Amino acid sequence: MAHLSEGTLRRKFDDEDALTASDTRHFSACADCQARYAAIAEDARAVAGVLTLPDIKVDIASALSHVRSAPAAQPRFGIRLPIIRPASRPAMGIVAAAAVIVALVVTGVAQDALVFFQPKTVEPVAVSVADLQSLSGLSEYGTFAWTKEPAPQVVTSAAEAGTVSGLHVPVVGPLPNGVSSTITYAAMPEAVGVFTFDAAKAAAAAAKAGKTLPTMPSGMDGSKLTVTVGPAVLEIFGNLNAGAAENATQLNLPQLIVGASSSPVVTSTGVTAQELENYLLSQPGVSPKLAAAIRSIKDPSTTLPIPIPIELATSKNVQVQGVNGLALGDNTGLGAAVIWIKSGTVYGVAGTVKQSEILDVANHLH
Amino acid sequence: MGVNLEAGRRHGAVKSNEDSFETLFAAEYARVAGIANRVLADPHEAEDVAQEVFIDFNRLHSAAAPYAAAWLYRAAAHKALNRVRGRRRRERRELSQAADEGGRAMDPQHVFETSEDRRMVRQALARLAPKPATVLVLRASGLSYAEVAQALGVGIGQIGTLLRRAEAALRKEVTRGTSL
Repeated sequence: MAHLSEGTLRRKFDDEDALTASDTRHFSACADCQARYAAIAEDARAVAGVLTLPDIKVDIASALSHVRSAPAAQPRFGIRLPIIRPASRPAMGIVAAAAVIVALVVTGVAQDALVFFQPKTVEPVAVSVADLQSLSGLSEYGTFAWTKEPAPQVVTSAAEAGTVSGLHVPVVGPLPNGVSSTITYAAMPEAVGVFTFDAAKAAAAAAKAGKTLPTMPSGMDGSKLTVTVGPAVLEIFGNLNAGAAENATQLNLPQLIVGASSSPVVTSTGVTAQELENYLLSQPGVSPKLAAAIRSIKDPSTTLPIPIPIELATSKNVQVQGVNGLALGDNTGLGAAVIWIKSGTVYGVAGTVKQSEILDVANHLH
Repeated sequence: MGVNLEAGRRHGAVKSNEDSFETLFAAEYARVAGIANRVLADPHEAEDVAQEVFIDFNRLHSAAAPYAAAWLYRAAAHKALNRVRGRRRRERRELSQAADEGGRAMDPQHVFETSEDRRMVRQALARLAPKPATVLVLRASGLSYAEVAQALGVGIGQIGTLLRRAEAALRKEVTRGTSL
């Protein structure tokens, strides 16, 4: 029989009954395990000795009143996801660029249709870091305002997440090894925003950057895009102790995230889809390669493009829950994700586990 | 009428949140302060840390959250360890002066036994990586294997190994620290 592990021997120090019957038999006959146990026990006793202190005496009522007198609490609003911390500015840049790219392909074949973007499938679009850096934000082309602001909130249960979002909250099957079963739920009702094109603003921003923008087609100035996102739910596995940490090295990445959201819907007034595509793809920051990739999407009105930074990630098409999905990352365990759209809902599973494990979780969602 | 009902419901929700926060505070404050004190060996500073932890928690989370206690325990350990790290430079200077003066003993067992060196042990703890340091602090504060596992977001089966490695690392760090 193999020797007992250090963890098992350490546990024996705290609980004599922790060993199984066969471990106990091995231990009583194994001089090697007994010697290792003696060393482990000596360290444990020494550390326990030095960390022992008299019990602290506290006055709970006075402490509570002190805490109550702290500056007013911010609304419980907005999950502080560790992945969106200030130190992740480049990541936020990528998110912003992704939004721009989604806007770039807000194009459609049926120009008269009011709803011209409602994705039903996903497709990767390879972008280089240079592409991301050269693209400016949508804010340079006009103004954006929420008519119904996103109100993400941390909730205490799957049932509450379902009530807030009106969505079915996905239930996971078996979790990969090492992933905590502690789940934090977040939910968001539908949010609606309106983007209004502003030719003067676009020209001014370009002039400031020393660039000349192509002229906006007539009718685009003042036209509006209405974007509806969500409702959405998020299940975060692991401990979200970001609030406790005072430096970035202390932050804990979630081990696994499962999300579901109604497909975003974009409607427009004034501008036609073809005009928008032509205009946005002719911007100075858009490389011919990226423009070609976006134009190659067969049915852009029903395809959600997922920007894949060429230098940072790899992607492949996979079958998830019987539909086409897109898997990112690899099997190193450093990080992987899969995204797919089924029955009008966009699903995503991501985590710091292997791609094969992510796919397994995705296929077992119900 | 609908609006009033909605406002009433919201008011009820706020009140119930406050009640749950008070319940959580009453149930966990002593333990959270105890964890901080385990790191700092200073009851006043430990209470400062414990109160900051509750304030942070209350700003971001619902007191009814199932992870509330685990969050508080780990936050207390992290915040207290960060305080020790913050004052390390000053302490280091004092230690090196003491070493120059006394030619102090290098035997870690001796270090463990003297009260003056207790501070040095705290510094050694703060020099460990966050996870092993937190395991030691939480376990020494009386948390069960299951509670420590939940606070760290790891499986309960890993706690024995984590503890073993952390204890060995702390003894090694203490030995290194005394030679500063």
